Amino acid sequence: MALIIENRPLGEKTFLLTLTGVEAGHAGQFYMLKPGHSSAPFLPRPISMYDAQDGNVKLLIEVFGEGTAMLCACTPGSQIDITGPHGNGFPHAEGDIVLVGGAAGAAPLYYLAKELRAIDPNRRILGFVGFNGKCEPSEFIHDAMREVCDEVHMNYGGFVTRDVDYSLVATYFACGPDPMMRDCHACASKCSATLYVSMDERMACGVGACLCCVCHTKSGPKRSCKDGPVFLSSEVYYE
Amino acid sequence: MSDILETTLCGIQLKNPVIAASGTFGFGEEYAGLFDVGILGGISSKGLTLNGSYGNKGIRVWETPSGMLNSIGLQNPGVDSFVAHESKIMRSFGCCAIANLGGHSEEDYIDGARRLNDADIDMLELNISCPNVKTGGMAYGMQPEFAADITAKVKAITRFPLIVKLTPNAPDIVAVAKACEQAGADGLSLVNTFLGMAIDIAQRKPVFNNVYAGLSGPAIKPIALRMVHSVAHAVNIPVIGMGGIASANDALEFIMAGATAVQIGAATFSDYRTMGRCIEGLERYCIDNDIKSITELIGIV
Repeated sequence: MALIIENRPLGEKTFLLTLTGVEAGHAGQFYMLKPGHSSAPFLPRPISMYDAQDGNVKLLIEVFGEGTAMLCACTPGSQIDITGPHGNGFPHAEGDIVLVGGAAGAAPLYYLAKELRAIDPNRRILGFVGFNGKCEPSEFIHDAMREVCDEVHMNYGGFVTRDVDYSLVATYFACGPDPMMRDCHACASKCSATLYVSMDERMACGVGACLCCVCHTKSGPKRSCKDGPVFLSSEVYYE
Repeated sequence: MSDILETTLCGIQLKNPVIAASGTFGFGEEYAGLFDVGILGGISSKGLTLNGSYGNKGIRVWETPSGMLNSIGLQNPGVDSFVAHESKIMRSFGCCAIANLGGHSEEDYIDGARRLNDADIDMLELNISCPNVKTGGMAYGMQPEFAADITAKVKAITRFPLIVKLTPNAPDIVAVAKACEQAGADGLSLVNTFLGMAIDIAQRKPVFNNVYAGLSGPAIKPIALRMVHSVAHAVNIPVIGMGGIASANDALEFIMAGATAVQIGAATFSDYRTMGRCIEGLERYCIDNDIKSITELIGIV
């Protein structure tokens, strides 16, 4: 069990939960969580780590369905049933970095930039974030990305993936909704760019047992929770 | 742990009657990082097929009120890989190792059972109840005559005690159960998932590529309990009860209804501590009620 010490609304449907009593993970890793002492929702929800600071872990949660709505309704002082960190996380690439995020999908990329910056303060980190809805926390994400990136490009209502130059000598990382990921993959492939993607699949167990969150790859079905959620994009079969 | 919870299933001694259900626990390895898997009475393997399978495409899980729908489609590494690798992992935990065997055809089942004779396991659970594969699977468990036929053929080949896992989607599950008993089954396990459905109203399409999927979790418990009760009172072979068990109290209901052991599945996804709590709760109930052996409770209702 972890304790919620802050629940900050970032918009109508996005909340920043600060938890204490949770082991911090690496960028791209995630937790399985549901409200403490509650039989609903039945399954815990996978949420990636947004930040780790002063012994606390922060999660940026977008209300997507009933489960995430219940999590976002949790008040400070309430308990959260949580396991993790789970999954492989993003690899620590060398050199320059390009991050492509779709709205709340930018959450794990923020911490990735932080981690990679700490390893090599002199590298260039470029951030691209796309927004489609009106109630998305674009200002918050913009400010956060500016802290950790050398340049941040925002796109409202268009294809953020088309704003990116894929011909740089850099490693590319993407996290966002399916159509964005598919487009990012298509664009990166044309330039033979090295792109890592964090796959957002529906999960049940979070530890690799149930095979619900399979990502089909060139080397067979892989479990997003255990073998991923981060995969080399050129390995993935996009459905 | 005292011996209050010890039970014997098809001649195999279990330290307690709590078994991890097939398809919800991999081969035990995945959960070993979260708790001591060795506390369990047994583990039933992920459903195996002769040549393995990549499983279904598309969405595979969907939460429902107090439960979940799944459409995995028997993704598994195949019988030969299981014999060489995964069975050894299962064995290493020191609890009863059960291989769950599915199939798409009679030959699949027979050949699979034959090759599993080389595995170091304790029992074979014949899965004639998977609702998520297009050929075979549940089709064998719907009618008594088909169920009996495949049971007899696998029984003739296997060197292990044979448990047949039944589908609650059969028009008459008691008739299927009796037919399997007559065909030589050493035990029965029930229920597999109920055929269900979900529709994505935004896309106006079924959620699952196969349209229908398997419902499990607490939502099905009262129906599963009724079926276990009906079957356990109609046959003379041991029954493993399952379907929505999420607590010791649930497990006690199934045992009192006639189950010699229970399997827990979806509730492990909800909370990985479920089976551990269930074992503790069963022991607590026995101590508090001055019951010397949990077996005293089997079928008392």
